[in-house]
Amino acid sequence: MKLESTAALVAIDRDGARALGLDGAGAWSDAPGVSAPLEVHLAVTARCAAGCKGCYLDARPDGAQPERATIERSLDALREAGVFTVAFGGGEPTTRDDIAELAQAARSRGLTPVLTTSGLGLSDARIERLSAFDQINVSYDGASKAYTDVRGFDGASAAERAIRRLAETGIRVGVNVVLTKQSFPELEATIARARDLGACEAQLLRYKPAGRAASIDYLASRLTSGQRRELGPTLRRLSGIFCEGGRFHLRIDCALTPFLSADEEIMSEPSRLARFGVFGCEAAASLAAITVDGLMAPCSFAPPTRLRARDLAAGYADDDDLGRWRSYVEAPAEPCASCPIRSVCKGGCKVVSAFLSETHGPDPECPRVESYGAHLS
Amino acid sequence: MSERPSIAEGQVRQVRLGHGANCSSIGSVVDTLFATATVGAAILAAVVAALGSEPVRVIRPNSRRDDTARKAKP
Repeated sequence: MKLESTAALVAIDRDGARALGLDGAGAWSDAPGVSAPLEVHLAVTARCAAGCKGCYLDARPDGAQPERATIERSLDALREAGVFTVAFGGGEPTTRDDIAELAQAARSRGLTPVLTTSGLGLSDARIERLSAFDQINVSYDGASKAYTDVRGFDGASAAERAIRRLAETGIRVGVNVVLTKQSFPELEATIARARDLGACEAQLLRYKPAGRAASIDYLASRLTSGQRRELGPTLRRLSGIFCEGGRFHLRIDCALTPFLSADEEIMSEPSRLARFGVFGCEAAASLAAITVDGLMAPCSFAPPTRLRARDLAAGYADDDDLGRWRSYVEAPAEPCASCPIRSVCKGGCKVVSAFLSETHGPDPECPRVESYGAHLS
Repeated sequence: MSERPSIAEGQVRQVRLGHGANCSSIGSVVDTLFATATVGAAILAAVVAALGSEPVRVIRPNSRRDDTARKAKP
């Protein structure tokens, strides 16, 4: 169930559904199947002039850009499949002149549209056209030096202006903070600055070896082993500083979830992760992506399948490539097999494991996997 | 908005706060993990209360071009 004013997705049992006057009828007697993704990431352009050194899409100023009608057909498919949230990205989605119309197109289909932007070139006129989005996240890795370390140029002031102006316009705004070896030590200052500018949440993102980041430089930029083990305590400390009262939230992305396995307090009560809806690798399950070519992918970082977006409803459950990503958690290798948070984490980021170990296996940067490897050797 | 019968907190299996707005990976609110039991219970109570009056959209898997939006029975 999707709550609009409270902004939450809530899973309830069948007795609860009946209490609300909802009856699953035949659907409840069928064997459990593959549900549609809750959230789909839709690349509405591959154009971007920013040139971030770690861009996962390898976006460029002359990148491909689908026609509006093509995107609207994808939105039709999302509605048909039963998707809740569509995240517009790319590329820089705000460079599209029809971005407001696309947001309205998503709304009119019952989807919740959200958007990620660098904030570069986001004039007041363009900001006015973004009011139909439920939330907009600005990429902001910190003040000048931290931003430059992550992206290769200093766009911090432009991002800060965008955060402030979006908030002043009344649009709910968050920030995406890419965690690297260089940006991690600045995290408290980064979040404090973002909150002061009007952000309502900070989403922390793991740096991933995809697109332009799939290079030897990844090894120099990724979090250190010590930083990965510090994530849980750091989140606890930052939550105490920034989140009391519930007006500001901290999020982590799916790829950071395995790092929580190093946190003794979290591992002592792993059911809390599921209770509060923390997701690990949901590629091809609760999450899917649509490329600028209109192909379905397990997630934005994974190679596309041959399934066309327009065939999402009919083909999502049966596509073999998507199924391979979805089924990993059913019979994973050790140490995932015996991990208390296996059902949530789902083995960590397969994009990282493919890059570092050329396997579709346990995330090699997971602290538990690291310890397991050290124990074996 | 009409009120529906309330449900018990035990009937709520999972709560994911917010929609997030990242276009590259799916995010989850984690500050609730570190909140006290009192705050956690308050979040759950607020969600249960909201379920009593929020619009509910029913999704029928694989329905063809069928706008299935409707309100739950009051």
